[in-house]
This record gives sequence, C-alpha cells and structure tokens, in this order.
Amino acid sequence: MIGAFKKIWDFAGSEQKNIKRSIVLALLHSIFYALQFAAVYVVLKALTSGDTSKRTALYAFGIMILSIGGRIVLNTFSQLQRVHAGYFMVANKRISIGNKLRSVPMGYFNKNNLGQMTAITTTTLTDVENTAPVVLVTVLGGFINSVVFALSVLLFDWRIGIIVFIGMAAFIWTTSLQEKHSRKSAPERQRAQETLVEKVLEAVQGISVIKCFHLGEKAGSAVNSAIEDSCNKNLAIEKQMTPYQIFQQIVLNLFAVIIMIVTAALYVNGTMGLADAMMMFVAAFMVFEQMKSAGISIATLRIAESSIDKANETDNVPVMDEGGRDIVPKTHDIAFENVSFSYGERKILDGVSFNVKQKTTTAIVGPSGSGKTTMCSLIARFWDVNGGKVTIGGEDVRDFTLDSLMKNISMVFQNVYLFSDTVENNIKFGRPNATREQVVEAAKKACCHDFIMQLPNGYETVLEEGGASLSGGERQRLSIARAILKNSPIIILDEATANVDPENEDRLQAAIEALMKDKTIIMIAHRLKTVRKADQILVLDGGHIVQKGTHAELAAQDGIYSRFITQRQQAESWHIAGQKT
Amino acid sequence: MEKKNSPFSMIMQYAGSYKRKYVCSVVLAVISVACGMVPYFAVAKMVTAMIGHEEKDMSFFVMWCAAAAVGYISKGIFNGISTSISHTATYLTMKEIRQRLISKLTKMPMGTILGSHSGHYKEVIVDRVESIEVPLAHLLPEMTANVLAPLLMLLYLFTLDWRLALISLITIPVGMAVMSTTMKSYGENYGRSVEIGGRMTNAIVEYMGGIEVIKAFSRSESSYEKYETAVNENAAFFYGWMKSAQWAMSAYNAITPSVLLTVLPFGFIFYASGSLTAGAFVTMIILSLGLLEPLIAAMNYTDNIARVSTVMGQINEVLESREINRTGKVTKMNGNTIEFRNVTFSYDNENDALKNIDLTIPEGKVTSLVGHSGSGKSTVAKLIAGFWDVTDGELIIGGQNVSDIPLEVQAEQIAYVEQNNFLFDETVMENIRKGKAGATDEEVVAAAKAAGCDEFIRGLDKGYQTVVGSAGGHLSGGERQRIAIARAMLKNAPIVILDEATAYIDPENEAVIQSAIAKLVQGKTVIVIAHRLSTITDADNIIVMENGTVSAHGRHDELLRHSQLYRSMWQAHTGTKGGAAE
Repeated sequence: MIGAFKKIWDFAGSEQKNIKRSIVLALLHSIFYALQFAAVYVVLKALTSGDTSKRTALYAFGIMILSIGGRIVLNTFSQLQRVHAGYFMVANKRISIGNKLRSVPMGYFNKNNLGQMTAITTTTLTDVENTAPVVLVTVLGGFINSVVFALSVLLFDWRIGIIVFIGMAAFIWTTSLQEKHSRKSAPERQRAQETLVEKVLEAVQGISVIKCFHLGEKAGSAVNSAIEDSCNKNLAIEKQMTPYQIFQQIVLNLFAVIIMIVTAALYVNGTMGLADAMMMFVAAFMVFEQMKSAGISIATLRIAESSIDKANETDNVPVMDEGGRDIVPKTHDIAFENVSFSYGERKILDGVSFNVKQKTTTAIVGPSGSGKTTMCSLIARFWDVNGGKVTIGGEDVRDFTLDSLMKNISMVFQNVYLFSDTVENNIKFGRPNATREQVVEAAKKACCHDFIMQLPNGYETVLEEGGASLSGGERQRLSIARAILKNSPIIILDEATANVDPENEDRLQAAIEALMKDKTIIMIAHRLKTVRKADQILVLDGGHIVQKGTHAELAAQDGIYSRFITQRQQAESWHIAGQKT
Repeated sequence: MEKKNSPFSMIMQYAGSYKRKYVCSVVLAVISVACGMVPYFAVAKMVTAMIGHEEKDMSFFVMWCAAAAVGYISKGIFNGISTSISHTATYLTMKEIRQRLISKLTKMPMGTILGSHSGHYKEVIVDRVESIEVPLAHLLPEMTANVLAPLLMLLYLFTLDWRLALISLITIPVGMAVMSTTMKSYGENYGRSVEIGGRMTNAIVEYMGGIEVIKAFSRSESSYEKYETAVNENAAFFYGWMKSAQWAMSAYNAITPSVLLTVLPFGFIFYASGSLTAGAFVTMIILSLGLLEPLIAAMNYTDNIARVSTVMGQINEVLESREINRTGKVTKMNGNTIEFRNVTFSYDNENDALKNIDLTIPEGKVTSLVGHSGSGKSTVAKLIAGFWDVTDGELIIGGQNVSDIPLEVQAEQIAYVEQNNFLFDETVMENIRKGKAGATDEEVVAAAKAAGCDEFIRGLDKGYQTVVGSAGGHLSGGERQRIAIARAMLKNAPIVILDEATAYIDPENEAVIQSAIAKLVQGKTVIVIAHRLSTITDADNIIVMENGTVSAHGRHDELLRHSQLYRSMWQAHTGTKGGAAE
C-alpha cells in the first residue's frame, strides 16, 4: 500500500508540491470535521447536568455551522490542489512521452508499439487521471481524518483513544492481508483473462477458416472452455476472498463494541462521568466511518498503481543521440564505408561498402533476410550503425540533425499516414509554404488530381484520420504527391511495399516515375524492368554485398543475380492454366 | 418494447437460472441489514438506562454489548455471503452472456464479422461484458442495504419522535439545492469536455500514428507543439471546470450528511421543552449518524445502473443482428456447377452491391472475375463461399439452392484462399491438419510438400511442431500463404476460390506460391479474382464486372475484341507490367 502511494508520489513529479499542499489542507479539514464531537459534547453535557437553557441549542448549532463552513472552504481548496495535481501530472507525462518520441530512432516504430504507445497515452493515462486523485482523496484523506478523530478521542480520554488506535491498526492489518491475497491471485486471473482474449480473437478473426474447415464445434469448444475457465477462476478467487472481506467488515465494528464495553466499565466503576461516557458511545459510531470508506477504496489504489506501472513502461523506449548540426550537404552522393549493423544478437550487415553517385539509380536485390531493408533505413538513420559510417555528400549522417538529414530524403511507402486535415494541407505537409498551383501540379504528377476533384470539396476536403475514406491506392498516390512537393534529392523506395494495392497499378507506377525523375534513387527492386534500367545493382546475401554491377554485367555471371532474373521472369509471366479438357 | 429493454430486465433475461441466487443474495442482504440494526437498539437501551440514572450493574452492559457484537458479526457474515452469492451469480451471468455471444457469432454471416474490425467483437465479448461485473455484483446487495437500512432507521426515528425525524432530513434538500447551482452549466461543460478531450485524443493519435511521416518531413517541431497544446488545453479545461464547480460539490458533500446540524439544536429544544426524553434524544443522535451516508451512496449508484444499461445495449445489438438463414433440408449436391439466377445483394440494405446478376460457373473449369474495385467481383466470390446470404434471387450450387444447403455442407465443397489467411496459434502441423480432421502426419507432410512449404517448415526452430504465434505472427506473409495453401490442398475441396491469392504479397517467394497454386487448382472448379490480368489470360471464361452487373464474359481474345472495358483494363495492365518475358 505504501508502495502504491510512493508510485503515485513519484509519478506526480513537479505536481508534488500541490499534493503536499492538498494534504496539509486535508489535515486542517479533518480538524473542522472533528468539531462535530464538540457540538455533540456540548449537548450531552447539558443533558447530563440538567441544564435546559436554549443557549445550548445555539452553541451546538454554531459549532456545527463552523464545522461545516470550515470544511467547505478547506475541502474546496484541498480538492482543487489534488485535482490540479491529478490532471497536470498526467498532462506532464503525456508531454514527456510526446517529447521523447522525437528522439526515438525511426526504426523502433512499428504498428504494434505505436499502437501500444497511443493506447497508453490516451486510455491508460486517462485511467490514472481518473483514479489517482480520487484514491488520494478517499484513502489518504480518509486516513488523515481517522487519525485526527482518533487524536481527538485520545485527548478526550486516553484509554478509549488507545483502543481507537489499536482498532485502526487492526483494520490496516486485515486490509493489507486481504491486499496481499488478492495480489497473489491477480496474475492467475490475468492469465485466464489473456487466454480468453486470445481465444475470442481467434474465433473472430479465424471465422472463415473455422466455417470453411468445419471447425465450428472444436473452435467453439475452445472459446467456451476459455470462458468457462475465466468464470471458474473468478469464482475460486471470490470464494477465497470472501472470509477476508467479512473479517475486514467486522473488525472495526468489533472495536466499536469494545469501546462501548470499556466505556460502560469505566462508567460503572465511576472513573468516567456520565456525559463523557455518552460521548464515547456516540464516538464509537463515528470514529471509524472514514476508515471504512478508505478501506473500500484500496481496490481503486490497485488500479491506479497498475495504470501508472503501465504508463511508466514508456520510459524504456530507446532514444538516439540527437546532438547534430544543421548541414546542407554539397552533393548527394551516398557512401557506405565498411558498415556493420546488428539487431540485438543478430548481425544484419557485415562490412558493407559501396558508393552511389548523385542522380543515379541503385537497385538492391537479394533473398529475404539478406539485409536490404536495413541498408536503406541506415541512410535515413532509422538506426545508428554499429561500425563504419554512412555518409551523404561526404558528411556522416550522425552529424546531421534529424530535420536537416530528412530534408534530403524521401522514403516512399514506409508509411502512408494521412492527417485529418484538408487534402491540400496533407500534400503540403513537407513544404508548408507551397502555393495552390504547386500543390495541384504535384497532385497531377502523382495521378491524384482526378480523384481529388471528385471529392466533395476538392482540395479542401477534410480527410478522415489515417485517410480511411480513400482507397489504398489513392492514399499511396497522395503520399507520393507529398513527396513530389517536398522534392528531396534522395528517394528511397521498396517496390514490395509499393504494391500493397493491386488495383490501379498503372497509375501508381506513373506516380512513382514522376517522383524519381532526376533524383538519387536507392530501391529494393523486384521488377525486371527496374533492375534493367538501374545504373548500379547491388546483390546482397547474408549481410554482404556479393555482386555489384549493371544488369548486363551481372546477367552474364553465374550467381544469385542470374537466378533472381530467371525467377522473376517465371513469376511475371505466370498464369493459371485453363482446363479445357 | 422500450420498457422491456430496461437494463434490469435485460440482465434478468441472461441471469435466467441464476435468478434464485440473486433472490437469495437480496434476502441475505435484508437479514444483514436487520442484524445491523441490533447495535443501535443495544446502545439505545444502554444510553437510556444511563441517562435515566437507572441502577444497572456491569452484567447489563455486558449483555447489551454482546448483543451489539452479535449483531455486527451477523451483519458482516450475512453481508459477506450475500455479496459473494451475488458475485457468483454475476460471474455465471457473464459466462452465459459470453457464450451466447459466441454462439451468435457462428450464426451470423461471416461477412458481417470479417467486415468489422476484429477488435470490435473482442471488445464486446471480453471487455464490455467484464465492465458490468462490479456494478452488477454490487448492485443488488448494496442497493438493498443502502436503501433499506436508512429506511428502517428512519422508521425507528419516527417512532421515537416524528418531528425530529422529519427535521433530520432537511440537509438533503439544502445540499441538493447547493449542488443544483452547478448543474445548470453541467450540460454545457460536459459537452465541451467531450469536445476538448476528443481533440486531445485526436492530436495524440495523429501525432503517434503519423510520427514517421512527421519526422520524415521534418515537421516534428510544429507537430509536437500542436500535441503539447492539445494536452495542456485538456488539463486546463478540466481544472477550470472543477474550479468553478468545486465549492458547490464541497458544500454538498459537507452539508448533506451533516444531520447533527439540525438534530442537535432542535432535539435540544424539544428536550428542553419537555416533549422529548433525554434517552430518546441521545438515541436519535446516534441513529441519525448512520442515516444519510448510505442514502447518498445509493444515489451515486444510479451512475452504475446507467453504465450497465449502455453495455447491455451494446450486447443486445450483437445478439439481435442478422443471422444467416438456411433451411438445411438438402444435404447432398449434384456436381459443382454454380449458377446465379437474378441475384441481388446488398451489404447495407440500401445500396446494391450486385444487381440482378445471372451467370453460370461451369464445373471443372477456370472462371475468372475481373473488374475495377467496387465492381462486385469479390462479392460474387464471397457469396459462393457462404460469407453472406443473397438478398434476392437464387444462388444454385450443384443443382441446389444454397438457402436449402446447411452452411457446413456448402463449406465442405469450397477452398477459399485469399491474400491474408488466418492461422491459429498452434503448431504448423495442426494448422495444416485443420484442412482435414483426422489426417495423418504423413498426409499433412505430403500436402506441405505439394504446396512447396516443406523445406521452410523444416528450417523452423521445431519444424512441424513450431507454434506459429498469434494469427501466425511468427511467420512472414508468404509463409502464411503457403501454409494456407497446404491446408486447402489437404481439404481437397472440388471448388477453389482464389481471391487475389497471387497478388504481390511476397515477391521473393512469388514463384513458389504460384507453383503451389497451380497444383491446388488441378482438376477443380476454379474461381479466380486476380488484378494482374496476365495471370488469367488462359482462363476458360472471364467475367467482366462493372457496377454490380456482368458487363461481358468470354475468353481473353474474345473479350479483347468485344469488351471496351476489358480492353482498357488490359492496356492499363500491360502498360505497367513491363519487362516480363513474353
């Protein structure tokens, strides 16, 4: 429990001062809360002394007004501090995640971890926002109130006061016992839940396979048993937890009874006056109330804690050293000098060297897993090399700032993400000050103009997030228009990912050709046409360049390249045979 | 109908056999509340005796304290058991709902399920159902306790002194009145909070979704600023809202449960005037302490009821959606000729994806469907595969109307291979074996060899025993495709549908995939959707689709002569193909 508070505290960061202030105010608030005892005591004193003057009513009323008024004021300020802390500590975390993303190597990003990061920044942090402040209020506030109450009782009668403290300690003990237990069973429950998710997803995504292959019953039974399992786990845990919950409920009430009986004993043997004894009877009902509600909220504390844990996972994202200069390279020649790169344990590139003259086309071919994609991404510094260096115009890519490096490079099809902005702004994304004419010209070159004009508001049409309202091919061509407008001198392209949409291949090709005009091009090539036209072909295998030359040179050699050519010829001329017979 | 959809009746519909458990839970909750009253009586007895200066010895106090203790203990036990039973019933109800949802999935058209994001059904079946656990499990016992206990106390208060009982309730309307001052602007603020929260979420989603593009286009500075602004605006708005409403909430929270504010002075006045005994007065002070907190808790509970009802609505939406409709009276088909007779199909009951289609796909031939996206070629294939039922007209397979054929029998006849084939998170062996229940390991390996994947499977960590990961995630797209082809080969269905199965999914392994497909389709009734027209020039029949109708059909050379649409598609295709050795 203390650990959980510590986590919230650490998470609060610069908002700690507001939490501190809030706690101090909560303490003062409790003192006003405890004033109720005084109001009750005034009345009881009058009752036992037989004083019937109306002044007592007025006093009691006055004290109650003071108590309530003080609580309103202090609670307002205390709450506001907490609310501020809650919202702003989460906002700060969101901003720090956003800021961190700026220096995360591009190679780290993929659909999976970006999705996770987005989920954390939106949903998980909203959970923190919703739970952490509430927990602080109810649990921490409840404990503070209880302690102040207990202290008031202690001042009133030390013997009863001690019982109150013992009762509170006993309650905390049972609560932490229960906590420990439920923490122990949490992973089990989690596992059952994960299996359930997996089986349900399988049943949904695999529905066509399940039906086509007659697996209905079998697959159904797998899901049903996962549902059964999750239910049984919950039932078992529930059964285990019930005694603890009952015990937790009873313990404070039993201490209330102990207060009563001790009070009665003290009263009977004459060491406690009538008014004080009555006061203690009333106190027995009041003193633990706050403690109870604090106890109930402990479950929320657990939620807050696990949400914070999840949010903190973003701290483990790798970052890249960003201390570069703004460089404008003199040429756009690209060179790899003895470059090595490993991904984790696996060596991907091993001592690779080659030169690319500016405004030439270099095609990279090789079997899957030979390191083609890695080689391309090192130019754009998606990762840093482990050995050797990559240069553009003679400057090491690590000396550039990311922005000044990326000004030189367009990566096509790495991600066709479109923003929920107008078509025009999407195209202008790489060159915000472009004129409408320039935008239209780029769109025309990328074969986008026609379909854009058919959208409800033409270039002013606002796209849905991610561009969901367009077809895959249209999205791709828009992203090419964006790159054309950006007009960076180096183009990196992977033909395989360029063909995700089999429709409208012709227009896509035209768009790509427009983009590549007069540029330095590095491409992972699959089409025969492309490799034939390339000025230089690099054949990669197992992280090494095994062949280098033009099509004519390499085709004459026996090797990976000539095999590649035969395979591609087969694939590109393949067709399903009719079955006339 | 609307009345019937109250969340409670909806839940009871699923709780069915667990109704008795819920009843039991409520009965125990009532007993628990009754037991919880005992300590108040006990204290009332003791206080009245003390203040009346009656001569009581310690045994009197011990007896009543024991009574209070017994009351508390029984209250705790009964309450605990009540909650536990309610939880049990809730878990069982959740199970019931989930199983019904799963069984519903098998009755829905596959197309409906595959057409929505796979996360959607998982969300409903797992998360949404989960979210009703806490409110549902606590609803009955706690509502019972929170409403009944104060009512009983109030009743007791009224028997002691009805005036003071009434007065003790005054803080409720006062508290509410204060609270209502913020309620006026609540709707407006809530609306804005949704808007600003939504703007922040969008900014986050865009920033993260587009981070690669943002970096690639050197826009991280300005995009980050936008993100930061949205995040700060969100926090500032909520804080500002709280600031304007906090004092009223604090006042409400301080005033409403403070019964002592009225009970103390007025009780004393009544006592002083002689109309209320000291014993009754002190008893009332004690009773009133426990009066309002539970009522406030009960009021807060209405939130939960609303939440449960939203979730139940979402669940019912799934349960009441369209089912696939088969009479199932025919169980045998004669041959595999496929005929569309005046078939119309609509996904949304508004726009027709297919309009009055007539076509015949002869047995044992290769038929190709071509056309631009949205022309309806995929819809034709999906109807044959049983993803949907036709909206109008007749689809005949093997001389039988499919609406009379059970889906399983239809599925038996068909192997459907697409670009993205689903694999289960099991071993390669089991995934292929799914093609034919009870196939031997040898048969599986033979199919794998025929599909050209034996070699790469043996290269995997554990060969055929390698687990492929969730949805086949440990394998590349091309590898998944080949395993799916092996699975289809093992099934050996007479009708094979290839839905863009030869598209550029994995150029490095294209040749292997192609030869696997060539083996799969040998001697079968084949339906091919392929964008690359060069792959289907040899088809026995090519059907050209346009806007949901058949525009032309015939062999490649015939279509080149007669169909304007086909000719233009062919030209566009050959224009880009380039370099192919022909």
